[in-house]
Amino acid sequence: MKLSLLLFAIGLLLVLLQTTFLHFFPLVPDLILVLCVYWGLHHPTVGAVLASFVLGYSVDVVSSPVLGVNALAMSLVFLSVYLSSRSIWLHNHLVSAIVVFLAALVKGVALALASAIFLSSEGFWIAALRYILLEALVAALLAPFVFSLLRRGQTYVEKVQVPGLYY
Amino acid sequence: MLAFFRKYQVPLSCCFCIVLSLYILSASARGQLKNDPIGPLLLWLIRPLQIAAHSATTWIKGVQESHLTAAGYKAENERLRKRILELEMERNRFLEAEATNQQLQHLLDFRSHLPAASITASIIASSASNLFQSCTIDKGTADGVRKGMSVVTPLGVVGRVVDAAARSAKVLLLTDPNSGIDVMVQRTRARGIVSGSLENGTVLKYIKRTEDIQVGDRLITSGLDGVFLKGLMVGTITKVRKETLGLFQVIEVMPAVNPARTETVLVVSAERKSATK
Repeated sequence: MKLSLLLFAIGLLLVLLQTTFLHFFPLVPDLILVLCVYWGLHHPTVGAVLASFVLGYSVDVVSSPVLGVNALAMSLVFLSVYLSSRSIWLHNHLVSAIVVFLAALVKGVALALASAIFLSSEGFWIAALRYILLEALVAALLAPFVFSLLRRGQTYVEKVQVPGLYY
Repeated sequence: MLAFFRKYQVPLSCCFCIVLSLYILSASARGQLKNDPIGPLLLWLIRPLQIAAHSATTWIKGVQESHLTAAGYKAENERLRKRILELEMERNRFLEAEATNQQLQHLLDFRSHLPAASITASIIASSASNLFQSCTIDKGTADGVRKGMSVVTPLGVVGRVVDAAARSAKVLLLTDPNSGIDVMVQRTRARGIVSGSLENGTVLKYIKRTEDIQVGDRLITSGLDGVFLKGLMVGTITKVRKETLGLFQVIEVMPAVNPARTETVLVVSAERKSATK
């Protein structure tokens, strides 16, 4: 419970970061995606599924022209990471970067597909492809760093015992 | 049965979320999502944080600029350097105050051309996604902002409000691929649609090959889309290309307003009054 709340608070913080500070970079790094992949790999619970959905939805609320695009993409990312995590036996920086890269591709394709169907933007696919690949690369590069930070936070929270809180 | 649900609770909840997202997406795309309880709550939750983060960013920028200004005086002795730093910081404050004053003066002048209901707002956050171009302003339905209102500055069009919560609103920028503004070329009165594009930046669409369009031509709103007042500056044509095939010309546009450098905007509802200056 405590850990889930902490991870969700981190998620909201990342939404805030992506809409303010990180916007000064030429390409906004998708840290929310990295967090959802982390949940899918290391914390696959119903709470994490709902948190991924809510984070995607909050991105929709602050930046998408229609609601539900990012919520759908994040839910798909979680499902694909969860299903693939059963076949992943090795957990190191390279593997996490590759998983994040593939998850970013899943998200990008889901976004482009949903936009093409529901928003009918002309020429969206071809132009979106470059962004999808760049976003995936940036997310994959950041993944090991973010993963180690999250793992440290998780270990710390698991060590701290608060009376009356069960998790 | 219960054991099955317990065993597959994660994939089943994922599927539930996917179906729910598809429902929301479909309803939202058709404009049928009238009462969204979570969106305003999230905006309400995140708004103070966004304002705080925005203030922090502005402060950091100010400190950074002061630091850069002071860096030029490194060679001078300590006393003069300290004095110069003080004067420089004071000067920056005055310059900033003067710039803000000038900006607000322009805004006031411009506002006199607009309907009385126009609302002054500050941009407090930008889009979290690279595929969509939007921003958040600090005024919402409580201040009179409504979905569909246009967002402008004295320099020209910024975008239009696509969603409004009580104290904030989401603005779809002119540069977003999903935006579309009915414009006309000021010189020839040829009409087209200005929209964002991930490939070519901002583009002017649906201009026939036979139309006389030149680089440097200014684009103004036609006022026919019911969103923007007539005569607002939209941008300048930077590139005109005629493909071998196709009915229309490929025209690239430099928007009149750079949203990244815009701090204060006016939210206006489209009334039949020309804003031509």
